[in-house]
Amino acid sequence: MWSYIARKLLYNIPVYLGILLFLMLALRVNDPVHAFLGKNATDADILDVRAKLGLDQAFIYQYFDLLRDVLTLDFSVESWTNEGLRVSDMLKRSVIPSISITVPALVLTSIISISIALISAFFRGRPIDRTLMVMAVVGMSVSFLVYIIFGQYWGAYLLTREGSDLFAIGGFEPGLANWPYYCLLPVLISTFVATGYDTRFYRAVMVEESSRDYITTAKAKGANRRKVMFVHMLKNALIPIITRIMTTLPFLIMGSLLLEVYFNIPGMGRVLYKAIQEQDFPVVQIFVAVFAGIFIVSNILTDVLYALVDPRVRLS
Amino acid sequence: MTSTNSALGKFLSGRGMRKLRRDRMALVALAVIGVYLLLALSVGVGLLDKGDVFDRAGPDTVPGAWGVQDGEKRLTDAEFYIEQVQRAARASNAEDSLAELRFGGLRAAPGTPAEVQAQVDDAWLAFDAVAAYEELDEDPEVASLLTTLEQKVEGLYAAPTGFAGAIHSLRLSLGTDRQGRSILFRALYSTKVAVQIGIVSALISVLIGTLLGAAAGYFGGWVDHMVVWLYSTFSSIPWIVLLMVLASMFRGGPFDGTLIPVYAAFCMSFWISPCRVIRGEVMKLRELEYVQAASAIGFGRIRILLKHIIPNTAHLMFINFSLLFIGAIKAEVILSFLGLGVKNEPSWGVMINQAKAEVLNGFFWQIGAATFFMLVLVLAFNILSDALQDAFDPKHVGSQ
Repeated sequence: MWSYIARKLLYNIPVYLGILLFLMLALRVNDPVHAFLGKNATDADILDVRAKLGLDQAFIYQYFDLLRDVLTLDFSVESWTNEGLRVSDMLKRSVIPSISITVPALVLTSIISISIALISAFFRGRPIDRTLMVMAVVGMSVSFLVYIIFGQYWGAYLLTREGSDLFAIGGFEPGLANWPYYCLLPVLISTFVATGYDTRFYRAVMVEESSRDYITTAKAKGANRRKVMFVHMLKNALIPIITRIMTTLPFLIMGSLLLEVYFNIPGMGRVLYKAIQEQDFPVVQIFVAVFAGIFIVSNILTDVLYALVDPRVRLS
Repeated sequence: MTSTNSALGKFLSGRGMRKLRRDRMALVALAVIGVYLLLALSVGVGLLDKGDVFDRAGPDTVPGAWGVQDGEKRLTDAEFYIEQVQRAARASNAEDSLAELRFGGLRAAPGTPAEVQAQVDDAWLAFDAVAAYEELDEDPEVASLLTTLEQKVEGLYAAPTGFAGAIHSLRLSLGTDRQGRSILFRALYSTKVAVQIGIVSALISVLIGTLLGAAAGYFGGWVDHMVVWLYSTFSSIPWIVLLMVLASMFRGGPFDGTLIPVYAAFCMSFWISPCRVIRGEVMKLRELEYVQAASAIGFGRIRILLKHIIPNTAHLMFINFSLLFIGAIKAEVILSFLGLGVKNEPSWGVMINQAKAEVLNGFFWQIGAATFFMLVLVLAFNILSDALQDAFDPKHVGSQ
């Protein structure tokens, strides 16, 4: 087991180094200082900003600088657009809003889509299964953005106009008491959209599982259909289900960027989006580096957990 | 080349294809995709010009042909039409202005400026008669006044007849957006943009992914390590962040405002999934007897890879092309919303993004048109992808 973990860790080091390299190159295609200060900046200003961030040094020095910052978790660089605000503070501040949308959405989506998938797989090939799957495919063919626009219009805008203050049109306040007002509507929209995708996947997993030998055996031994479905099959289908849920975990930190942008929720996605819009180079660089780092760490965790559940994985 | 062709021929006449041809839904989906391709092609060769999508076709936010207009809106629309003629008639060179006045297919009715001005004044009288009422929707008397007003307004214009008339009513059949531009024509033009983005990015991504994946799977060793490292790197950045960083790379550069940043962002993030799948498939194919036979005959490794292995992954290339096409169309909407997508051109994403404000006023024609056009195409590709997977890859999780 330990050698497996060590192998995974070793394997991911060059990947992370590659991400940093790629990210830094991509952000330097256009001179970030030039883009931020605009055309009217004097040479002295440009040199000043450049020197402050170490952008005047050779690329290799900048690379190791960023690597050191990431390894020591030292993000004390200041944002360009919000003067005096350190990137580490921006990170800390935006985690809670992001998580308060994505975690409930993930839980709800998983529960709902696994239930629908079970129903669908149980009635496989019958009208109810077909209807559900057609609904899922049609739902998947509409843009996420359309769901957000109509969700906000019907859920918040129309209700507010009629005097009922059920959901906020946008914004965010911390605290559990404020959660339903600001976050429930985005969570519902996100759940609605994700359910279509997940249901199809989970149903496929269950249909696949239902053709295995142990199911035939259980049926041959006389177990009734419902018991085979919910006891034998669901237990085994849990492995791919858990994997899928775990692989979506790193994206939780990132948040639902679109929802955050549309509903003005100051989560990580929106902060990054604004930083890209305003050419706030230090924020973009560190945010992406941190996302990728979290992603890789949780990938390793997923693999390790998976290896714990299914010993066959360790050997490959 | 001949052997590649025959491999493709074999693929097209093989068991999978026969299975696909029996799938009625898949054939309908293919037909729908064919219609969209034709449409995109005809827009591409000049069915619509920039004027059709950028110039005013009528007043703002006019509902489509079967939409219900309330009295208030009919009144402001009439006002808009009268004002256009009045402005031309009062211009310093009124005769030329009147001759040049046209939006959509409408032009001003023939007549000297003085005659036109008299007609305009007449129309204003009818307008004032309606505007005197507060409630425009209940009273039958107001309804008849509104009809008179609209007849007078129609008299100000020479309505196109015949073919031009049909085009004109087509232009307004789905209404106009907030800048008075034809929604139908914009949606049609967007079809071209979407098909273009879909084909270019899906094709290039599949090609890159296939070449890298096949090389990695066949050669193994350090080639494999490099390719796996490359796609692990790209796939460890959340997809939407990767798209944003890549698309913003081109800002201010010479390609800003073209579709090239969009293509680049899509290709660089989409090649990963075909690469992964084809690498796995090639690793399996490499061990098969026919490949060993080919190498026993003495064929070179490159030749075996290009002529014997890659053609046998054709089904995966098709499936991935279909999936990436959907991905590109949907991602375009998101990128355009974030301000990093299509610029200087209408696209479904641009339309949906503009429709945000209209939705708040209860006007759904633009968002509806863009969503419908997109829904049909994406749905067709979804059905096709499922059918392709069923036909060629029966073990794939997701098929029946």
